[in-house]
Amino acid sequence: MPLVRKGGGEAVPPPLAGPSALTRGSADERWSAARSAPLTPEGVEMLATALGLETDERVREAIFTRLARAATPGSVEAVLPHLRSDDARIRTGALDALKAMPTAVAPRLAELLADSDPDVRLLSCEIARELPGPDATRLLCDLLDRETAANVCGAAVEMLTEIADPSAAPALERCAARFPSEPFLTFAIRVALDNIRSAS
Amino acid sequence: MPPAPVTEEELQRLCEFLYRKTGMIFGESKRYYVQRRIDERIAATRAGDFAGYFSLLRSDIDGEIEQFINAFTVNETYFYREDHQLECLTRDLLAERVRDRPRSAPLRIWSAPCSTGEEPYSIAMWLLDNWPLVDAYDIEIVGSDIDSRVVEAAREGLYGKRALMRLSPEVVARYFIPEGEDHWRLIDDLRQSVGFTAVNLVDGPQTRAHGRFDVIFCRNMLIYFDDASRRVAAENLYEALLPGGFICLGHTESMSRISPLFTVRRYADAIVYQRPLERVRG
Repeated sequence: MPLVRKGGGEAVPPPLAGPSALTRGSADERWSAARSAPLTPEGVEMLATALGLETDERVREAIFTRLARAATPGSVEAVLPHLRSDDARIRTGALDALKAMPTAVAPRLAELLADSDPDVRLLSCEIARELPGPDATRLLCDLLDRETAANVCGAAVEMLTEIADPSAAPALERCAARFPSEPFLTFAIRVALDNIRSAS
Repeated sequence: MPPAPVTEEELQRLCEFLYRKTGMIFGESKRYYVQRRIDERIAATRAGDFAGYFSLLRSDIDGEIEQFINAFTVNETYFYREDHQLECLTRDLLAERVRDRPRSAPLRIWSAPCSTGEEPYSIAMWLLDNWPLVDAYDIEIVGSDIDSRVVEAAREGLYGKRALMRLSPEVVARYFIPEGEDHWRLIDDLRQSVGFTAVNLVDGPQTRAHGRFDVIFCRNMLIYFDDASRRVAAENLYEALLPGGFICLGHTESMSRISPLFTVRRYADAIVYQRPLERVRG
């Protein structure tokens, strides 16, 4: 039989360098340093600094993952500025990292949903998806009642459609009444209300 | 008398402990499942109640952490499950892996999690029967699982009728020997051609110890993790692949939703994910 069993391949080398390499050395060294950075306040601080300087997408991803693993208020602080990045890949990386630490980001979500930047409000609707249903429903209904950007309302309506909590129905109806000239929103809200009715 | 049901707080403490050790996440919706596993372990350890058991677990007396993790894993599988990916392996993936490669360089394939061995043995049988170059390369197949009991069962290579349900009589006759009325044992040659280890894929050092692979089958495992653990596992798997190596996930799973590290490759029989061949180093 031609297959073979050996004692295993050569092990992948352990991390090449300590956390101090986070902002120095090759991409491989920075990747290793990010993946092994301590999950302490000091480690999170180093990761935050490195995140602001990093240009390699793979290393940046490892930094986001490590910060999400730490899941502390400090790691949320480190990631949040990148939600405003002009680079879509960085924005998406930040969004995914925040979604991966829902408990840590929850206390900041009301503030994010009221941000002056509609893009941040829209992305924050995505983060709300990771919260327990009643918390997400309350935050998103509050947003619907004051939101001026139809696109942001659309993102919130999409989340509320998934959650299908009957307590969202009045806010959805008020939102539909405020945007009668936005057919996509009217349609999305009708779908959301249908979903709520069929789920209850 | 069975122990009293665990309280919500106890359930949360236990689930947090399990999460820290494995990355697996069990919420309130899995309460019945978790309660049954806890009851089993309290009875098996004669701990009496949850408080006694949790103390024993945290102290890891008699290797209880491993037993506890074993109780939470799901190990139901069968030979030639999702065989479209095996088609893809021999039709497309291996052809790419052996292109421009010396025949002296071994091909390494990893099945993780491997449960009771059906998947790594399926890969071995499939290659022997379907890949014309199988004699031309040294092929190393490794099966790994977090559950040490199933790794031991995989080494034994003894299976019931249900595990063999998708195999043709010819394949069964070629690779199995009947044992008793309802069981079949894999022939020694095949059992000796697959290596087995225990591994927690969220654990970087454990994963790194296995070296790098050409193809990894990691099916229906990431669904048990939360987002943060899934990202860590994806990075560990990335490190465990040779540049240009492939990872096959379960048909309901998508690496694109977990990590941007991999390139999506669409073949006739399957969608797989590839570690990019070259990167610009910064």
